[in-house]
Amino acid sequence: MSKLNQVIIPTTCLYSLQAVDFVINDKKILSDISIDLEPGVITGIIGPSGAGKSTLLSLLNKLLSPTGGEIFFDGRNLSEYPSQELRKLVGLVQQRPHLFAGTVRYNLEYGPKIWKIKYSDEDLLELMSKVALPADFLDREIDGLSGGEQQRVSFARSLANQPCVLLLDEPTSALDIVSSEIIENTIKQLAKEGMKIIIVTHSLQQTQDLTEQLLFLKDGCFIEKTSTIDFFKKYDEEEIRTFFKSKTEEE
Amino acid sequence: MAFIDIFNDIWSTLSNVDILIRIALSSVMLLIIVILSLWQNVGMETMFLWSFFRGFIQIVLMGSILTLIFDISKIWLLYIVLISMCVFAAFSISRRYRYPKMFLIELLAITSSSIFILTLVMFSGVPAAFEGIIPYPPQGEFIIPMGSMVISNTMVITSIVLERTKSDILKAKGSVEAALALGDSSTNAVRTILRDSYKAGLMPSTSRVAILGIVSIPGLMSGMIIGGVPPVEAAVYQIVIFLMILSSSFPASIIANALFTRQFFTKEHQFDLVFLNQLAKIEEEKNAQIKKNKKKMDKLKEKLRRKNKK
Ligand SMILES: Nc1ncnc2c1ncn2[C@@H]1O[C@H](COP(=O)(O)OP(=O)(O)OP(=O)(O)O)[C@@H](O)[C@H]1O
Ligand SMILES: [Mg+2]
Repeated sequence: MSKLNQVIIPTTCLYSLQAVDFVINDKKILSDISIDLEPGVITGIIGPSGAGKSTLLSLLNKLLSPTGGEIFFDGRNLSEYPSQELRKLVGLVQQRPHLFAGTVRYNLEYGPKIWKIKYSDEDLLELMSKVALPADFLDREIDGLSGGEQQRVSFARSLANQPCVLLLDEPTSALDIVSSEIIENTIKQLAKEGMKIIIVTHSLQQTQDLTEQLLFLKDGCFIEKTSTIDFFKKYDEEEIRTFFKSKTEEE
Repeated sequence: MAFIDIFNDIWSTLSNVDILIRIALSSVMLLIIVILSLWQNVGMETMFLWSFFRGFIQIVLMGSILTLIFDISKIWLLYIVLISMCVFAAFSISRRYRYPKMFLIELLAITSSSIFILTLVMFSGVPAAFEGIIPYPPQGEFIIPMGSMVISNTMVITSIVLERTKSDILKAKGSVEAALALGDSSTNAVRTILRDSYKAGLMPSTSRVAILGIVSIPGLMSGMIIGGVPPVEAAVYQIVIFLMILSSSFPASIIANALFTRQFFTKEHQFDLVFLNQLAKIEEEKNAQIKKNKKKMDKLKEKLRRKNKK
């Protein structure tokens, strides 16, 4: 869909975090994080469960504000960036799909209605095919959807907003291999079209296939930023397995 | 002087043996609901006891000075009585639902809506149109009972609405956040939740109107008919009262919701974590209270069991 690659912001630095802290109920969830993120690559965020990955994503589209330090997006301080405008540009796919009561169509059209983007039925179906949702789902109530189907609707809902940055929080955690592959191809395609993608993942395969650079978080601390290739060179299999521990435990 | 007479009057009536028997008999019912509350672990025992005790004292006092209030014909004095009723209503709600700024929110919502509706009715053609049934020009005898009905119903309905709003926002926190993440404003993100809360609040009163005359014959109307007012006119008057209750409660709920939900969010359309934290603490205290009650109940059961064994 041509609509998706409309707005691309020319940047030298997509995000810049400077000594970012996030404290909640006197509990330090992220501490002293300083990173620069270049545009043009798919960035993976990895780290054990509870490391603060989801919290970091919420900071990036201002659903949360840092309790210390500063975040710059496209050279502008987030504290001065109007939240709604920012969230139009920076889409977020939540870790758990929280859909709105109603039909799939209602969910997909929710964002576009806010931003006065017109969608025809064909556009909606094309959007759904990107996330491996069959066409007859369009007018189905969300109540009957499986976990994986909900996750795909949630992905499509964020895409419908035509963001230029997409924050993905484990977008394939509830999917089978086939749908995961379709989603992964979509992500690659979007990146090719110029969308900036930051993805939290617990999947070793996804990290290798999709990402070009990695942020490694642990216990709320930023451990390192490396290219994916270097990361897999640097650590042996055993070590890498422990980084992705929570997922392998689940499997 | 008058007040001393009133107290003497109350005292001599209350110490009458017949009256005491009546009170004792009604207390049996109170005992039943207290036992049920303990049994079902609802945690409302103290509230039942306290509400009825307090309500009893208040209504006895009120009943006794009612004759004085009914004679008020100075408009400003009537307004003072009405506004004090609003303050009292807001205060008691803020004691029960201890959410931040509850008193102010309820005070603003109840006072503005109910005083507006009452003023509208007082100075419109309504009292004149009911000449012969209600005193004209407006007098305490007519304004105060009507005001109390409007204010107390507004109070109850707004509190139902706010409680519903609160629990629904907390329940739907994820999807509210999803809406925010799409660039929605915080007011718009909770719109459907507010809509449901109005339904929850206004439904009971509306269904009461719908079954009027079939299941329920309101006390006010019965009283008027017994007092000699033609039934049709009493019925029209009753409908006016219900309309006043709803037309005061609805705007009051909207005002209360607007002020209340604002606290959930920051100006940046984010959830206000400090406020959520406060709510969570209040909830914790409530649950701790329920747990304590449960322990009490368990002890009681244990005692009974031991007695039975003996
Ligand atoms: N609202 C909150 N109140 C208290 N603690 C919180 C809150 N939100 C997050 N946390 C805590 O912050 C830490 C980081 O949470 P976060 O969801 O960011 O982890 P994560 O890296 O995404 O983990 P996962 O891989 O399991 O999704 C966790 O220990 C979590 O319990
Ligand atoms: Mg997470």
